[in-house]
Amino acid sequence: MKRLLLLLLCPLLFGIVSAGSVNQIVLDGSVGYRQVDIEMAFSEPSTNGTHYEIMMNDSEFSRTDESILHSIIIVGETTGLMQPEIGEWYDDCHYDPGDGVFVPIYRESDGTAVIPNGTLSVGCTLTGIPSGQEYYFAVLTIYPNNTEVLSSVIASSSTAEDELAEPLKTSPYLFAIGSISLSLIALLFGLRWLDYRDGRTSSKGAHLYIAPALLSLAVLTFYPVIYGIWLALTNADQSQLGEHVFVGIENFVTVFSTSGFLRVTGFTLLWTLVNVVSHIGLGLLLAIALNKHGLRGKTVYRTMLLLPWAIPSYITVLVWRGMFEPAGAINDLLGTDLNLLADANGARFAVIMVNIWLGIPFMMMSISGALQALPKEMYEAAEVDGIGNFSQFRHLTLPNLRSALVPLSLLGFIWTFNMFNVIYLMTDGGPNLDFDGPGSTDILITYVYDVAFRDGAYGVAAAWSVVIFAMLVVFSWTYMKRTNATEAVT
Amino acid sequence: MSSMDNMPRASKSDLARRWYVPQEIESIRSYYPLVLIVALLSVGLSLIRANQDAIYSSTSIVLVHLVVLVLLRQLDHGTKNIRDGALAISGIGLFLSILHHLDGPSLWIDIWFTAWAAIPFVLVLAAGSMPMVTLWVSGRLTVKAAELGLRKNKMMAMKHSHALHHLILFHAVAAVALPILWILDVALSPENALGGGFMDEITGEHFEKLISSESFWLWTRNSFIVSIGTTLLGLALAIPAGYAFSRFRFRGRDSAMFAFLLVQMFPGVIILVPYFLVMKALGLLNTSLGLILAYSVTALPLCVWMLKGFFDTVPRELEEAALVDGCSQTQVFWRIVLPLSLPAVAVTALFSFLAAWNEFLLALTFNTSEEMYTLPVGLASLISSTGQAWGDFAAASLLVSLPVVVLFIAFQRFLIEGLSAGGVKG
Repeated sequence: MKRLLLLLLCPLLFGIVSAGSVNQIVLDGSVGYRQVDIEMAFSEPSTNGTHYEIMMNDSEFSRTDESILHSIIIVGETTGLMQPEIGEWYDDCHYDPGDGVFVPIYRESDGTAVIPNGTLSVGCTLTGIPSGQEYYFAVLTIYPNNTEVLSSVIASSSTAEDELAEPLKTSPYLFAIGSISLSLIALLFGLRWLDYRDGRTSSKGAHLYIAPALLSLAVLTFYPVIYGIWLALTNADQSQLGEHVFVGIENFVTVFSTSGFLRVTGFTLLWTLVNVVSHIGLGLLLAIALNKHGLRGKTVYRTMLLLPWAIPSYITVLVWRGMFEPAGAINDLLGTDLNLLADANGARFAVIMVNIWLGIPFMMMSISGALQALPKEMYEAAEVDGIGNFSQFRHLTLPNLRSALVPLSLLGFIWTFNMFNVIYLMTDGGPNLDFDGPGSTDILITYVYDVAFRDGAYGVAAAWSVVIFAMLVVFSWTYMKRTNATEAVT
Repeated sequence: MSSMDNMPRASKSDLARRWYVPQEIESIRSYYPLVLIVALLSVGLSLIRANQDAIYSSTSIVLVHLVVLVLLRQLDHGTKNIRDGALAISGIGLFLSILHHLDGPSLWIDIWFTAWAAIPFVLVLAAGSMPMVTLWVSGRLTVKAAELGLRKNKMMAMKHSHALHHLILFHAVAAVALPILWILDVALSPENALGGGFMDEITGEHFEKLISSESFWLWTRNSFIVSIGTTLLGLALAIPAGYAFSRFRFRGRDSAMFAFLLVQMFPGVIILVPYFLVMKALGLLNTSLGLILAYSVTALPLCVWMLKGFFDTVPRELEEAALVDGCSQTQVFWRIVLPLSLPAVAVTALFSFLAAWNEFLLALTFNTSEEMYTLPVGLASLISSTGQAWGDFAAASLLVSLPVVVLFIAFQRFLIEGLSAGGVKG
């Protein structure tokens, strides 16, 4: 608004000197990290063939050869040119076509800024200004006949601090949290009263006992989930937080039209399936190996095999990353010259291998527990009947472990699907990171992290989260239904 | 028995053959799948190394293994000739393995591969030439000898199966130990070298640097504040709730318990972005309080379920007696239930502490200023696009994980019980 007002005042404040030239440029006062906003008002509507050069220098100047060129704006034909929105180009520029409403400037394919005939004023956010230092700006008007007019010179300094976003308004959040808490407290009081009325004495004070836990759960988990779903329907991003508005399903359209949507979903599924199958398979193998009666050194083995679970995962993942470096242990050991992490398929193999290594102990221990619960008499009877080891495993162990394996595999599925650390710390989604789209080893949740905190597109990231959650629900539901169905048959 | 003695000699030995397979042969057969997998890996390694001769020799070793396996399978209804063939081919295989080994570099892995290639051949040679096996394959086995053999088989089967279990477990342990040995080597090596011989130069420079560096202690302090805060707040929230779920029957109990289960199903990612914005709005980014709140709520459902399970095991009679004696419900809780379940509370506390101590994603997202880094984020920042301080990272990793690992191993039984109870139920 401020910018608009200043611009409207411009022609009044500064008199007309020369037709169509920029006689004055003004600052609209807003500066950012290494950037300064300027506004230039034309004395007359612009005409075809004229172009404007924005000049700058770190000392005051009065001739063009004392200054450096920042950018050029051409007056010309604009049909067929792109018109990038704010934030899509390096220097955001907008112009007034004559009716007082500002629209984004046109860009040729090489990025040259173009305004149509009859423009009254142009505003630009100049980027790349050295931070925290006073800089001088002027605009040079060059007519088709090569006469030049230099505007007055103004000075401004960009800030040295990166101001990412306006501080959010606290009150709506406090209001939401307050109303959730109050309604929950009212609900608990109501339930308490109902219990009292019914004369249930065994529940004395129960609602008071669960109130703190339930309140924190509501405020810090359920509220963010609902807020996330709302965010997915707004245009929230880093630059317009607090002013975001409802945009419908636009973000979901963005999600499904992302180049590489299928690729990242496919790799996520591959990643999850290979990991869960290997975790359960190898965990089962080791659990059976450990379950041997009278095996010497069992405790030592068990303790050693627990280590991948006991050591913090961020440490082991980084250690593995070091081992996969060209100078690391893998090449030393194998006597090879590999650089797995620089190759897309190699990196995929490496991250999956590391996650298999990490996840086996949990499955091993859980399956061990289930194995010990199996009745010993069953195996003794099988032994008497002369049934071989493999047949015992196939026909006794596996069917009896089923009730433990089904929930374990579902749990493993959800955990692996959401395993952030391994991929973020090993490859950060790379190699082959595209400008907009997932990298070669990105799974859904590492990509969402990038969308949210690298691109700052919170609304789109929230939409991704909703889509991922929906996928998880569908997979888990189908899995449970199918396993239940087969259980009913057997 | 007497009727058997009257039978002709040939049919008796046929009977013996049908009932008896020497355990040596049986064991070698069941080891063979592993042998073949390793042999194929050896071919793979030769392919990666692009060593032509090694590719040929390792492939032919695989083929020889296959032939030996087929011959071993034929032995049951075979003749002495098949045994002799297996022995001869095993000899060739042994020779090939040695040639293959002499051909390439002799790193640890090559010695390992050679062992896996050669030892089965040696075993076949040894087992195949045993007198008992010779009798068996030549059809001259008496029923008496077979009975003796069957008894011996049982003992041997036990020993061999133990050996197989040790073999599998030893390899698993080696795979686990590899990164740990490597990080030990990097931590004790000078500068930030990743490669080099194992423990060839030993120095404590990284540990000295770490102990005298400010940021490491700052991160440790932050981690301690966050983890202890999480533990205290988490327990303060979870103990009353767990107790109420365990002891009281009240309206809304089932819905509340379901709410706790539901939260465990939510993947962290769906909350991350809104969580970040709420924290930002409340000014809780780059504070310890923000992380403490987030962690204690994340761990809350599991803690509540664990504690509920523990409280369920405390006998109710004690409480009822105390109530009859005139204690109030609050007094019962503080004076009787809590002291009795102190070990359980300690395990839950340890669980909360470890979860907060190791958490990475939320710490990375919420605390972006270096002043407020916790250990996970701080350690990860040592290895980034700008810095590759592997030596310092390795030393810090060892210092940070040692106490955690000791705690985990010491309390593994309780932690795993609680975690799988909560996890499987959730």
